Amino acid sequence: MSSLEFDWPRALSAADNSAAVFELHRILLNGLRIALAGRGDICEAHLEDFAQDALMKVLSRVGDFQGRSKFTTWAHSIAVNVAFTELRRKRYRDISLDQFMEEGRHFAEAIADASIPEKDEARDHLVRTLQRAVAEKLSDKQRAIITAALAGQPFDQTVQFLGTNRNAAYKLLHDARRVLKSALIAEGISEETIRTAFAS
Amino acid sequence: MTPLNKAQLAGLTGMIAATRDEELNCTECASLAAEFIERQIAGLPMDGALAKVEQHLQICPECTEELQALKRILESEK
Repeated sequence: MSSLEFDWPRALSAADNSAAVFELHRILLNGLRIALAGRGDICEAHLEDFAQDALMKVLSRVGDFQGRSKFTTWAHSIAVNVAFTELRRKRYRDISLDQFMEEGRHFAEAIADASIPEKDEARDHLVRTLQRAVAEKLSDKQRAIITAALAGQPFDQTVQFLGTNRNAAYKLLHDARRVLKSALIAEGISEETIRTAFAS
Repeated sequence: MTPLNKAQLAGLTGMIAATRDEELNCTECASLAAEFIERQIAGLPMDGALAKVEQHLQICPECTEELQALKRILESEK
């Protein structure tokens, strides 16, 4: 069975789809072995679980496949998402939001007190404007999510903090970034200046 | 919270500068991942929604991690 030429949607939707399902499971399992190679926290049983969960998800969504890539690439993308989502969920199961909510309350001060390299008027204006916007225009949760991002916390961990889903957390962060960018632009600070002021 | 250092200031301003009014969320990025990676490996241009995937990846390390894993799979099939 060639995965390049095979009509996967039709085969998987057929009354007798057992051969196609078996082959797709094998392909997904092999793909996950490659995707997760070298990780010490993964054993064969995990790979089997991920492949099985991914297979079920692919089968339930065959009708969504639009043919804009090879079917197997589309299926691998679902398997990778299933595996990484589950790995992150286990890693961050017991994390609390409190630390970042607390740090977020002092975020504006942390900006105001930042050690500005090669301080000049433009950088100073940018930092003061940013500090004011953080203090006046962001919610507590927006300050917390930016604080977490700057601390290098994985985004899925932040999602756990907030007790929400990844898209809602992304929107919270996106809205915060837009508010800050608008505030800086309104003060005459160009996007180029924002990008390059502190870049190495 | 301790005062921000230069790297954190660079991270914050870089994040703000990369912001666009219209961005993909993680689910939308995942739905385009297969097409995006195939075109990237083939060296084809990204236009329309696929260009927004590149912008999303600048902001989202988790989606970046998943697309890199998908790329490893496809490159192993060459």
